[in-house]
Amino acid sequence: METVVNDYVSRELVQDQRLLPLADDTSLLETGILDSLNLLRLVVFLEERFGIAVGDADLLPQNFASVNAICGYVRAREPGKQGAARG
Amino acid sequence: MGDGRAERALRGLEGVAYWAAVAPFLSRLPAPIGYRLACSRGDWLFRSQTGKRNALARNLQILPADLSPAAAQRVARDWFRFASCEALDVMRLRRRTRPLRRLVEVRGREHLEAALAAGNGAILCGAHFGSFNSGFSLLHASGFPVTSIGRWQYKYTAGLSSVQRRFWDLVYRRFRRYRQRPNIEPWPGRFEVAALAAAALRANEVVTIAIDAPPLDSDRSRAVGVAFLGQEAKLLPGVVTLARLTGAPVLMCFQFRSADYRHQVLEISAPVPMDGDVTTAFGRCVARVSAAIERSPAHWVYWTSEHDLRTLELSAPDPAWPAVAVLPRADEILPRRAAADRVPTPG
Repeated sequence: METVVNDYVSRELVQDQRLLPLADDTSLLETGILDSLNLLRLVVFLEERFGIAVGDADLLPQNFASVNAICGYVRAREPGKQGAARG
Repeated sequence: MGDGRAERALRGLEGVAYWAAVAPFLSRLPAPIGYRLACSRGDWLFRSQTGKRNALARNLQILPADLSPAAAQRVARDWFRFASCEALDVMRLRRRTRPLRRLVEVRGREHLEAALAAGNGAILCGAHFGSFNSGFSLLHASGFPVTSIGRWQYKYTAGLSSVQRRFWDLVYRRFRRYRQRPNIEPWPGRFEVAALAAAALRANEVVTIAIDAPPLDSDRSRAVGVAFLGQEAKLLPGVVTLARLTGAPVLMCFQFRSADYRHQVLEISAPVPMDGDVTTAFGRCVARVSAAIERSPAHWVYWTSEHDLRTLELSAPDPAWPAVAVLPRADEILPRRAAADRVPTPG
């Protein structure tokens, strides 16, 4: 899952090529990779790719801070684990 | 009233008194009387606020169509009148907005209904133009679930005291009462704005956005250059990305005040094509905003703010425009009831 998410973020969201290759623990917020519209792109991608639904209450920085955080959040949202991801 | 510090404080007090006591009273009078008195207050502000009036008249020079000094004065005076009338619009947002609904004709409702019938929500795209917030409240009260993206101005206007902010918070409560969800405010660091808007659209609701807002410093790198008022302005094209990611159609929406100042027309367009690259698609939306401003310039809120015009990267008008120093009183050059004195009736 980390590879899939990292590939998507690197390919679609990173504007500054100096940030590549992207480490899984790189802060997507401090580096400016994840702004408002990129978060929406990422949410759409996660919902389509992993079949989860991202609720309003889950739109917290800690759930999207890095590739690792995103994967942790997605795993918690997998069927049977809903609710565990809330900050 | 000039432009010194004491005068500014007095103007602030007058504004609070007007919104807190006078406008609520006027809004309960018969509309012809209430709006006429609001226009009189606008005329007084036009005469007394020299600096603001001159800045407005000077900034109007950036319009592609040449305005004579007298025409610029008419637009400037209407700008002040509209600002005073807007307070009455807000105060008429009571009893499910019925007092205001009697004065506002909605044209293009069928476009909004058709958009929602498709199930992807709808984006109402407009500008800081006329009584746009009252119009959105009115739409919500008439059955469309409306949520707005935007920063409430009183939260970021510098120099307001906590008491003033509290006061304007009470005023804006009238808008909030007629919204489906809390306002989505794009502050720096609020990275969830677009996702919240998408959530509303996925629920097949209406999201409003004003695309003429000057970008915040943190967003300047995302702004694109588009044709606006005959120049190139830097604006944020987020509405296009939002539309493409959610499948929601973008409908343009403008509210025009009529020649009698009390009646208004809220115009909703058919969907704007979103094909082509982002700048091209966004340029279509901005062209509609530009056309609305050129059609009735007095409606545009930003005319008095040189800071905002600079942030949009619109070129500064000639500071030596001669009319600035020799403005006659409005009622000296413009008979109050002359037909030529009025804003053209839209449509």
